[in-house]
Amino acid sequence: MAVEMASQSQVLVEEKSSVRILTLNRPKQLNALSFQMISRLLQLFLAFEEDSSVKLVILKGNGRAFCAGGDVAAVVRDIEQGNWRLGANFFSDEYMLNYVMATYSKAQVSILNGIVMGGGAGVSVHGRFRIATENTVFAMPETALGLFPDVGASYFLSRLPGFFGEYVGLTGARLDGAEMLACGLATHFVPSTRLTALEADLCRVGSNDPTFASTILNAYTQHPRLKPQSAYHRLDVIDRCFSRRTVEEIISALEREATQEADGWISATIQALKKASPASLKISLRSIREGRLQGVGQCLIREYRMVCHVMKGEISKDFVEGCRAILVDKDKNPKWEPRRLEDMKDSMVEQYFERVEEEEEWEDLKLPPRNNLPALAIAKL
Amino acid sequence: MSEYRGLRRAHILANHILRSPSPSSNLSLTPEVCLQYSPPELNERYGFDVKEMRKLLDGHNLEDRDWFYGLMMQSNLFNRKERGGKGFVSPDYNQTMEQQRHISMKRILYLLENGVFQGWLTETGPEAELNKFALYEVCGIYDYSLSAKLGVHFLLWGNAVKFFGTKRHHEKWLKDTEDYLVKGCFAMTELGHGTNVRGIETVTTYDARTEEFVINTPCESAQKYWIGEAANHANHAIVISQLSINGTNQGVHVFIAQIRDQDGNICPNVRIADCGHKIGLNGVDNGRIWFDNLRIPRENLLNSVADVLSDGKYVSSIKDPDQRFGAFLAPLTSGRVTIASSAIYSAKLGLAVAIRYSLSRRAFSVAANGPEVLLLDYPSHQRRLLPLLAKTYAMSLAVNDLKMIYVKRTPESNKAIHVVSSGFKAVLTWHNMRTLQECREAVGGQGLKTENRVGHLKGEYDVQTTFEGDNNVLMQLVSKALFAEYVSCKKRNKPFKGLGLEHMNSPRPVLPTQLTSSTLRCSQFQKNVFCLRERDLLERFTCEIAELQGRGESREFSILLNHQLSEDLSKAFTEKAILQTVLDAEAKLPPGSVKEVLGLVRSMYALISLEEDPSLLRYGHLSRDNVGDVRREVCKLCGELRPHALALVASFGIPDAFLSPIAFNWVKANAWSSL
Repeated sequence: MAVEMASQSQVLVEEKSSVRILTLNRPKQLNALSFQMISRLLQLFLAFEEDSSVKLVILKGNGRAFCAGGDVAAVVRDIEQGNWRLGANFFSDEYMLNYVMATYSKAQVSILNGIVMGGGAGVSVHGRFRIATENTVFAMPETALGLFPDVGASYFLSRLPGFFGEYVGLTGARLDGAEMLACGLATHFVPSTRLTALEADLCRVGSNDPTFASTILNAYTQHPRLKPQSAYHRLDVIDRCFSRRTVEEIISALEREATQEADGWISATIQALKKASPASLKISLRSIREGRLQGVGQCLIREYRMVCHVMKGEISKDFVEGCRAILVDKDKNPKWEPRRLEDMKDSMVEQYFERVEEEEEWEDLKLPPRNNLPALAIAKL
Repeated sequence: MSEYRGLRRAHILANHILRSPSPSSNLSLTPEVCLQYSPPELNERYGFDVKEMRKLLDGHNLEDRDWFYGLMMQSNLFNRKERGGKGFVSPDYNQTMEQQRHISMKRILYLLENGVFQGWLTETGPEAELNKFALYEVCGIYDYSLSAKLGVHFLLWGNAVKFFGTKRHHEKWLKDTEDYLVKGCFAMTELGHGTNVRGIETVTTYDARTEEFVINTPCESAQKYWIGEAANHANHAIVISQLSINGTNQGVHVFIAQIRDQDGNICPNVRIADCGHKIGLNGVDNGRIWFDNLRIPRENLLNSVADVLSDGKYVSSIKDPDQRFGAFLAPLTSGRVTIASSAIYSAKLGLAVAIRYSLSRRAFSVAANGPEVLLLDYPSHQRRLLPLLAKTYAMSLAVNDLKMIYVKRTPESNKAIHVVSSGFKAVLTWHNMRTLQECREAVGGQGLKTENRVGHLKGEYDVQTTFEGDNNVLMQLVSKALFAEYVSCKKRNKPFKGLGLEHMNSPRPVLPTQLTSSTLRCSQFQKNVFCLRERDLLERFTCEIAELQGRGESREFSILLNHQLSEDLSKAFTEKAILQTVLDAEAKLPPGSVKEVLGLVRSMYALISLEEDPSLLRYGHLSRDNVGDVRREVCKLCGELRPHALALVASFGIPDAFLSPIAFNWVKANAWSSL
């Protein structure tokens, strides 16, 4: 009962005629997704899809964050208590939610007025409309945590222009609202002062046809200028370097660029890669590369295999170590193992993509059958 | 009945008229009243792990392939476009020939910048070679022009320098070739001589005074023809020419000549003309070259086999001109292996598109007023596509096997590689052309659109049946090699060893009179029929030749007269070699669904090969009843493979973006709103 109450209060629901407004309400934790929140969201989204009176779903966050990610601290506690299977349940529900959103038959509008990271991207980017504002800060910071960009990121990052997705996914670079709009992670940009009016207008939508919401959003959207120092101005360098076959080659390509001209952005990029977990970098790159050729369902199934291996910690325990260094002890000094990129062999990377064998009752992620497979959700392999 | 149909038709028309809204731009056609696209994934289940099957089919370098696919998808140079909500990459074939050549070169430079060709000539060993094979295959899926251009530069020019040249050539050219500082072409074929390389008329003489070779085109039929990259891009050429030393012809030799300067101007004493627009491969700038006593340094003779000393003395480690000629041509094998494997990837592409379309397109109803039937649910449609699918699987495994033998080649295995690659090149490229034609018809009018790829590929890949050795000549070469092997074993009274002829040492297999379904699907039975057919044809062939020779005819002429047996024999040999590779691959698999499905595929391959070959009936290996049983079993197998069709083409591992709009939501792709 107490749990039920918590999940009720952590996701607020408002009914405005044909529209449902969901508010992630865990402001102290920057709306990090707890297991209860994920279950509740999944339950609500499925119910709204069934309910023919619902035409549009708005998702937003209470406070200065939209959503700072999944509540991985709780997962790490489970792992440390020898119970990674609990963590597996968390991720399996989270990915299921991502899949339902990616194949949703009604329009989802996510209002990203603040921090959007990791799992926060997972509950927004798959939906039809993503509204960035001047307060938006987006990042996929997983490689610094010993994890990898999951929640279907291997699907959406790999579809960004050129090799921008590799850049964002490997370095954990932060993007602002203008950059999100430029690269396609956001579909619209609306100044935060106009959000209340926008929401009121959206509540008048009375049809499943997304063109109605689109028309309203288009009336509010702006085209902000990219900051002069924006990474998006460096797409040529990003494409030249992040297109390389391996992480090692990406870093040496960046280093070659750096020797040609001293440049703060390039050295910060190299620094970010050198600070990240070598194991994470390698599995992340491979995941994005595979994801580029797969549908969103296959991406999530693969990521679920990967995250189970990450939690099991047989190849590397960087996830626990990363969370310790960044979230718990906050010494920001993780001791990665393997320590160097060259110690993370191809055969070790390969293991993350295999089924989790010899584990009792472990199964691949089973996604619910969906009638509304959008063209992009279908791929082979 | 017909009256009823007419009534129904009128009813439907009336409905259309009554429901059709007045033409207005913001009204969309409601999908409910029209045909709706339903993705095959919604109705089909994967009965086996397609990832495992893909591993088996692609065989090697899967991650490198995926990286390379991504490299093309993410670059604006590869002509990305959206159709029906999905992104596709495919060249714009509506561009002029000049534009296509230009963009192909730009694509190559993009790949170069990304380190794709690193080590392609300077690294050796099986791993480096397999990586190269994998990337060629992926390249060909995007555009065969791109792959052919790389083939000219690396496999023909680059490998010629590598294999015919010595240290001084390697140091001077290989790294620069890898970096595209040198752009090479390969001038072998002439207007008057193609597959018959020994007959070429270009003549090179030596001038001891200046220590130079002088290359000359003595007559119009000696002009170099079809030389890829020569019309625009190449600045260096491998020139294959007769070498005449003091009036003695030493036979065909290989030289390097610069044909353009660094700015792209044609060098003096060289004339170049364009071969013009072609039925396909217009991204490749094929040209014609005439040499007007072009002088090149003595060091430009690629001298791994023979050399001319500064005083003009000819020296060679191989005294016999026939053997010397053979040594020259040996490196061309890698080209044949590449051609065979890319042919199979093209067939895969065609089948993936046609089968996916046939799982979403409906036509006609079986019962009046009933729903229209999915194309692939028609037994006739299954019969058209699924045997070709099984053959493609078998040949895919076969060419993987050939690649492995090639990269691990030894002097002893060279002969087998030469014979097997000749047979495979011919059979696989013919199979591709046939498959593409069937696929193009199977998708109906949609196959005519270039963007749907299947029809267009016919023009692009047709060249494979005659370049790097005319298919018919290659097949004759196979039966000649088998004949020679037979004669030599009999003469020395030794058992057969090599070329898969060991079965000839055992007693002739006996086939059962009654062929049940389980017999027909038994691998031992299938092997026995294929062996028996090969053995019998080889014996007949040698017997007929011996008889003619006994009557005083020459051996060459006797072989020529027996061209029909020769054709049957080389086909029997190649098909048996293919079957053997499938059996080997199957044996290595652990028990499970992949193995089971591969077993069905193998049986289909074996039985369709038997059904299509009249020689079994002609020579009495199968009775009329037997042939009927085979035919019935083929149909049964079609029905059993039908549920696996989608998974079988998904296992090809070709990303969606490289297929075509009709493989996905073709209703949306063609909707007014998508214009």
